[in-house]
Amino acid sequence: MISNTKEVKARDFEISRSAEEKRELLYKDDICIGCGICEKTCPVDAIELGSIGAIVRTDADVPKIVCDDDKCVLCGMCSVVCPVDALEFKIDDEDIKNMEEYPSLISSAEINDETCVYCKACETACPREAITIARNLPERSKLVTGEIEIDKETCIDCGICEEMCPADAITMEHKLPTSDDPTVSSDIIVDKDKCVYCLICKKSCPVDAIKAACRSCSYGEYDLNPEDAETTGASFIDQETCVNCGWCQEICPVDAATVVKPFEGELSVDQEKCQACGACVDICPCNVLSFPASSASGMRPEKVMSDENYCIYCGACENVCPVKAIEVKRTDIKHTPTKSKSWDKKMESLKT
Amino acid sequence: MEMELKVNQDNCLGCGVCVVACPVNASISNEVAGGHGSKTTETIMMVENGFIKLFSPEKCTKCGTCQLFCPTDAIWLE
Repeated sequence: MISNTKEVKARDFEISRSAEEKRELLYKDDICIGCGICEKTCPVDAIELGSIGAIVRTDADVPKIVCDDDKCVLCGMCSVVCPVDALEFKIDDEDIKNMEEYPSLISSAEINDETCVYCKACETACPREAITIARNLPERSKLVTGEIEIDKETCIDCGICEEMCPADAITMEHKLPTSDDPTVSSDIIVDKDKCVYCLICKKSCPVDAIKAACRSCSYGEYDLNPEDAETTGASFIDQETCVNCGWCQEICPVDAATVVKPFEGELSVDQEKCQACGACVDICPCNVLSFPASSASGMRPEKVMSDENYCIYCGACENVCPVKAIEVKRTDIKHTPTKSKSWDKKMESLKT
Repeated sequence: MEMELKVNQDNCLGCGVCVVACPVNASISNEVAGGHGSKTTETIMMVENGFIKLFSPEKCTKCGTCQLFCPTDAIWLE
């Protein structure tokens, strides 16, 4: 049975045609960065990029791109050039990016768990919140050894040690005194899993009721197992939201993150033309652009500054700039080979 | 789908923030770049008789800056 359908779900869409083979184009608006590469690539001008600046900055409930299903021939070119995989093209339920006949952009982001120290810098820096670092901290009680004892006969239940303890290891059972039991506390407990033997309680006790000693301080750390001090964990990159911008690779202190970007190029900002409206800063999916702070009073910094280490040369900033102050050049496109000359030509036409 | 720049004079305070914030206006008119009202109708919008009025809306690139700055939702894109 031959059928042509277009299904629009909120801001996403799905165009499909079922004939001898089933061809489907799926678009996910929350992944789309509004770069407009698909619009430029579409051979039949079926894709139209929306007013990206206004859509992103005013959080308008409008899709970033629309596709005219009367024009769309379901060729799939838009999906292979999309640098963030917001467009997926399937033939008989198989993504053409996994098919040898079709070219696909070469890009990846990986974190090596062997090297990773789980510092979470990448998780914090990732502009797409695509990274999750799950870590298990070492047990505190295995990193220190010592002894602590509170002489309950001498203790006057003042609670100073409880308030002073930086590790919250001391708990007093506070109570109101009665004629039967004229004390203000029924018990005082030290949690030895929490205690770090810092001796603050011992030093601050007004009646010297606490006897404590840190064994690591007195005898060294020979009885501690270094393996117990290791933080273990796992890293996870959500490949769907990741844009391969390179923030994780740049910020990682132990070089555990490796990013391959699909495009090479150059980004330049004309400081004379720039009116500092901030549209590019808001649209950039990679936090490449920012307004610099003035270094000293009376000093005028650049209007907008860029750090190309994080740029994927998608061109979204160039498209959105109202005064044409930004130029993005793509000098190299990394893609898998294809025998089709027209597809190869399209891939190469991404160079500007 | 291209959005359209709209104004609602009933909401407008005539403050002129949109006129000055608009990057296209500032690149057209030196007065606007200096933080003053526009002296030319070449700019996208300007304040006339205390209200905002669109003069050259076709120059709008739909960046949304005016909407971000307008304190009374008197100028927007839809």
